[in-house]
Amino acid sequence: MLRSRVTPCLLVHKRGLVKTTAFKDPKYVGDPINAVKIFNEKEVDELIVLDIDASVQGREPDFELIKNLAVECRMPFCYGGGVKTVEQAKRIINLGAEKVALSSAAVQNIEIVGDIGKAVGVQSVVVVLDVKKKGLLGSYEVFIHNGKKATGLKLKEFITTLNSMGVGEIVINAIDRDGKMEGFDFHLIDMVREMTDVPMTVMGGAGNLDHIRQVIQRYKIIGVAAGSLFVFKGKYRAVLINYPNKLEKQALLQ
Amino acid sequence: MVTIINYGSGNISAICNIYDRLRIPYKIANNEDDVEGAEKIILPGVGAFDETISRLDSSGFRSILDHEVLNNKVPVVGICVGMQILAERSEEGDLPGLGWIKGEVRRINPSSLKFKPKVPHLGWNSVSVSKANKLFQGIDAEQGFYFLHSYYFHCHNSEDVLATTTYGQTFASAVSNKNVFGVQFHPEKSHHNGVTLLQNFATF
Amino acid sequence: MPEYHMCSNCVMDNSDARISFDKRGVCDHCNDFYTNVKPNWHTGERGKEQLQAIVAKIKKDGEGRDFDCLLGMSGGVDSSYMLHLAVKEFGLRPLVFHVDGGWNSELAVNNIQVMIDKLGLDLFTEVINWEEMRDFQLAFFKSGVPHLDIPQDHAFIATLYNFADKYKIKYILNGGNISTECVRNPMEWLYYGTDMAQIRDIINQFGTVKMDTYPFSPIFRHKFYLRYLKGVQVVKPLNYRPYIKSDALKLLADTYGWKPYPQKHFESRFTKFYEGYWLPERFGFDTRRVQYSSLILTGQMTREEALELLKKPAFDPATIDDEFNYIATKLGITSGELRGYFNMPKKFYWDYKNQESLFKAGAKALKMLGVERSIKR
Repeated sequence: MLRSRVTPCLLVHKRGLVKTTAFKDPKYVGDPINAVKIFNEKEVDELIVLDIDASVQGREPDFELIKNLAVECRMPFCYGGGVKTVEQAKRIINLGAEKVALSSAAVQNIEIVGDIGKAVGVQSVVVVLDVKKKGLLGSYEVFIHNGKKATGLKLKEFITTLNSMGVGEIVINAIDRDGKMEGFDFHLIDMVREMTDVPMTVMGGAGNLDHIRQVIQRYKIIGVAAGSLFVFKGKYRAVLINYPNKLEKQALLQ
Repeated sequence: MVTIINYGSGNISAICNIYDRLRIPYKIANNEDDVEGAEKIILPGVGAFDETISRLDSSGFRSILDHEVLNNKVPVVGICVGMQILAERSEEGDLPGLGWIKGEVRRINPSSLKFKPKVPHLGWNSVSVSKANKLFQGIDAEQGFYFLHSYYFHCHNSEDVLATTTYGQTFASAVSNKNVFGVQFHPEKSHHNGVTLLQNFATF
Repeated sequence: MPEYHMCSNCVMDNSDARISFDKRGVCDHCNDFYTNVKPNWHTGERGKEQLQAIVAKIKKDGEGRDFDCLLGMSGGVDSSYMLHLAVKEFGLRPLVFHVDGGWNSELAVNNIQVMIDKLGLDLFTEVINWEEMRDFQLAFFKSGVPHLDIPQDHAFIATLYNFADKYKIKYILNGGNISTECVRNPMEWLYYGTDMAQIRDIINQFGTVKMDTYPFSPIFRHKFYLRYLKGVQVVKPLNYRPYIKSDALKLLADTYGWKPYPQKHFESRFTKFYEGYWLPERFGFDTRRVQYSSLILTGQMTREEALELLKKPAFDPATIDDEFNYIATKLGITSGELRGYFNMPKKFYWDYKNQESLFKAGAKALKMLGVERSIKR
């Protein structure tokens, strides 16, 4: 039977790995290449690497880094950060990544999702939505540029457009929960699951394996991504790459 | 030596990396001349059926591949859509496939699936090997492989089914007929199982 | 070209340029062990008493505080086994830390995790800024010297003493041990990690990145200020009791699911490459000789077994190309450049500024005071 996916998500900032809290206060975590190598050796289901500077700085993706990371991955590798054109997306796929993630590019020009889908295949296009709660009525707004720029876009409208355009996967990232390790926002995930039939990965809030287990139990087939959980250990937030072993994984998927 | 067909479809670099690390000699075929005298052939492929078969035709590989595979009986393994084009036709498109293994490609039926996202079949799933073979030697069947597809291969002859996987319905995750093999999953992205399978293919 | 000589007792040979042999062909490492080290190495009742006394002192010092001692974990067998003893047998409450220099192997990370989890401890880590570490290591490659492990080593020592200072911990548990390390690496191969004159000279000549966050710690600070003025002590518990490596490995595996490394120090991908390939192939220094000789002297390996193992290369021919490429990629250079450093003329610590005379004087003084027993030369 198909299994849910448990995916580490790494953030790259100034060529180094960082982890944020509510998208702020990046803490240095180390060298991306060695971290990816270790995750590969731990046989993770998939890997997401996002460059959090590229769009903010108006910079191109770091193709050298992408190549060096892709070469270490014997599992699907998704790269995002600063991807704005079809050419960039094609290049990233040719360098060995399976999927390209779009965030601000999709928000600023949703047509690009369809264009890139035509060029590299819809299944290789991932749209990452960083969302924050808006107001008291439980609606969510899409943010870009590391949660700093409000787009005014309501989640529902945006996802409806994505559905009709065709996208390989939607990654929902709960800004408020980022780095807090206090659990997932089920209200948000329920909502998005309702809005689309497309594969989903949820991110933001994983503090222990039980949080992940809860998500899988609730949604049956879903991707669960985590940053802090797989990179930090213990109350002093020691940096130690970790991932559930075979037995722990089985327990998550029960 | 393994010849990997580069016709603009599929993750070739990942396959190359694996063979590099295993120190298994391979070459990338960029045109039909590169295929002549091939000992083993890998046919990658992602995307839509029609687009993939068109690309294969327009890149000039079609006739040499037919010759090497059907006449010279060179072992070939199609990966993902590379496996699907081994069929005679597909529900996804209008063009005929290579027809190296009798059967047709059908859409995964979402009605047998209870939970979203239903289609595509995306993620890790186990396999069940149907007949003795060298390709799956040493594979952890329960661990399985990474799949990403919305269509599946329906074999005309059940003896051509090499392995099955269950996702709502049970379908062929691998097929084989004499020297022609196909795997629906992505061995180049399936960790240890994938490396083993690619190694097996290169060395048998 | 001097004639080849190997010790008749252990497997050290004249790849250690300063080795000397007595009439029976036994080297000075062995004789130093038999004369100076072994007679003062107590692992029976006497050692037990000494250890108990030390443990009692540590506990007393730590009363009312979060931690009573400090332990640096590399993921290697010595520090892992020592952690086990410290917590399970001595009942100590160590502050456990790990220094991440960017080269952790998955095995190391896994081994650290299984122990921390099982023992219910909290881990501290010091992640060295990779851009700085990378440049620091590259500077050493460019200098042509053998001691490329200094950037990693120095970071560890500095972090150790930083924690001791910050948390006011007096006792440092060190996994160094006579049982598997009585023969020391000749200085020509592995020079002092805390010689700041050497480090500064090499960085000045070959470094390109400003070292803003890398933890530097001059020897004055840790050997004199912290040790003698602040009373920080280094304790080596593994020397007070029988320490048989194979037993330790078995215990760790059975108790924690700890997995062994193919060779000593292979918790770091860099050290694996450095000791397995770079030192032997570029300089003819095979650190296995030092490690096996120690095991021979302490009865854990026979000379025949060592000779048999030494017949194979220290690196794995099947994977060395990939490793070589990985090292180059990670350092941000091409494999060609790395090969260039491999082939450049050899340099040694004396080719750059150094405080060797200061270290020698200090070592002599410590030996006279009976604080350190064996030679490091």
